[in-house]
Amino acid sequence: MSDSGEPKAVVARGLVKYYEGGRVHAVDKLDFDVAAGEFVAIRGPSGCGKTTLLNLLAAIDRPDAGSLEIAGRSLKGMSDAEIDAFRRDEIGLVFQLHNLLPDLTALENVQAPMMGTCLDKRGRLTRAMELIERVGLGDRAHALPTVLSGGERQRVAVARSLANKPHMLLADEPTGALDSKSSDRLLDLLDELQRESETTLIVVTHDDHVAERADRVLNMLDGRMRN
Amino acid sequence: MSTAGAPLTMFRMTTRNLYRRPMRTALTAVGVAVGVVAIVAFTTIVRGLWRSVEGIIHVNDAELLVFQSNIAADLLSILDEEETREKLRSVPGVERALGSLWHVAPVGNRPFCLILGLDHAEIDAESGNLIRGRTPAADDEVLLGSIASKHVLQRDVGDTVEIMGEACRVVGIYRTGVVFTDGGLVIQLRRLQRMIAKENQVTVFQVHLREGFDAEEIAEEIDKRYPELVAVSSAGEYQKADQGLVVANGMVWAVSFLAIVIGSIIVANTMWMTVLERTREIGVLRALGWARSRIVAMIIMEAAGVGVIAALIGCPAGFGLAKLAAVLPVSDQFLSPVFDAEPFLLALSISIGLSVLGALIPAWRAARISPAEALRYE
Repeated sequence: MSDSGEPKAVVARGLVKYYEGGRVHAVDKLDFDVAAGEFVAIRGPSGCGKTTLLNLLAAIDRPDAGSLEIAGRSLKGMSDAEIDAFRRDEIGLVFQLHNLLPDLTALENVQAPMMGTCLDKRGRLTRAMELIERVGLGDRAHALPTVLSGGERQRVAVARSLANKPHMLLADEPTGALDSKSSDRLLDLLDELQRESETTLIVVTHDDHVAERADRVLNMLDGRMRN
Repeated sequence: MSTAGAPLTMFRMTTRNLYRRPMRTALTAVGVAVGVVAIVAFTTIVRGLWRSVEGIIHVNDAELLVFQSNIAADLLSILDEEETREKLRSVPGVERALGSLWHVAPVGNRPFCLILGLDHAEIDAESGNLIRGRTPAADDEVLLGSIASKHVLQRDVGDTVEIMGEACRVVGIYRTGVVFTDGGLVIQLRRLQRMIAKENQVTVFQVHLREGFDAEEIAEEIDKRYPELVAVSSAGEYQKADQGLVVANGMVWAVSFLAIVIGSIIVANTMWMTVLERTREIGVLRALGWARSRIVAMIIMEAAGVGVIAALIGCPAGFGLAKLAAVLPVSDQFLSPVFDAEPFLLALSISIGLSVLGALIPAWRAARISPAEALRYE
């Protein structure tokens, strides 16, 4: 919750992440908030620290300094097991290169994040099937990633990211490997899903076309926010 | 709408991952299976030896065997026939003590064969062991065991066999169900004593007890009264007279240990490669919220899967090898493998155990993969 009482999805204060023993500051003292349900685009050139910031927001990396609250919970002091559970339950991730598991079908890929949750295997299957249908791939549910098109793979990745009904959806260059038509379809889908579920959506991109759809754009350069 | 299909489970993921590189999985399983073959083959053979020893002790419904004490092999036992019989008769509970002389020598075209010297008068024609012919009456008449008759010497009633240069007539065929005795022949005790210059000597006494007496207690009593004798009432005690079973058991465990070491290294190598190859995938699973323990479980289950495949390959091959060994010339006289569930269960547990052991370090490595680093991994 912010000072104004408005619920916040992200509260970052003095966030720092460096590499190579501190010589490279990938994220350099960032302060920013993201409201719950907001669609925020983080834009900037390659190497500006966008993906590092996304990794911090996704709790797959830990900051070297500063504080970070996601959905009202501070990540500081969480054990590895707590971070794993937090990531599984609160965050949905869409990668640039889909990162689907190659030996699992589209439907099985969507079930993977639900393993270890309180859902039983039938519940997981039902939920995955709903999501696959929702992204328009009901007839491709049993296809392996290798036979899906780039756009279809990304739609499976979107379905997978929503598996555990996360509070926040993070997408790293989700349209980076797609043609413009597939890219538009995916953005429409993300838009719809975000509005339906009132999930916070943060998209890292260097594509202005993606950024134009966002409620707000954060511009990054050399690890800092420009606006 | 598409059909939902089967839900994703750890087992399903394991089979998919094993099937991903079928040749690698198969070759790793074969590597482990070599050890399984050895374990199964040796275990079935050694269990056969144990059963045969148990059979020797209780052949003709005897309760005890008595040998000379402090010997390494039963065939080395030398007992004075009359003196020992008197000693045994003096022990309360002993009803009858039947001395026999054991000797191993070339017979016919076989390099060796077990020759049992028994007093013909003591052979019980009604015991049911005699399956053809009659009991010997003359000095030059012999009985052949059923295995000796069919496989080892290939002689039957009416034929002649040459024993240490002396021709003897086969007058009957017996079967006791014990491979050692059924692979040999029975000759008149006095004749054998003369042939090998062991007059008045026997190797062992078969002891029958009076009803109501406990074999173990009587064995203890004999050991206590006569330290120069050793009484054996079960296969477990046979090492008091012969170290062969102990050596055979040691051999099984040595082979098992070697199989465990080699198999574990093979599995470790494969699983290490698997983890390296799937670093990015493991990173994705971690990024999706999979706990380290779940990653470890996935790797361990894959290794266990390799162990199961290895057991499925190795067990039939091991049984086959033991069967083959038992029908080879010479070994057909003393090998009678036992094909039951125990060697299979032992091999299955060792196979899975060593596979899991081999996967521990790769699994630990997989669990330590940082999702952020793995996602950068090409």
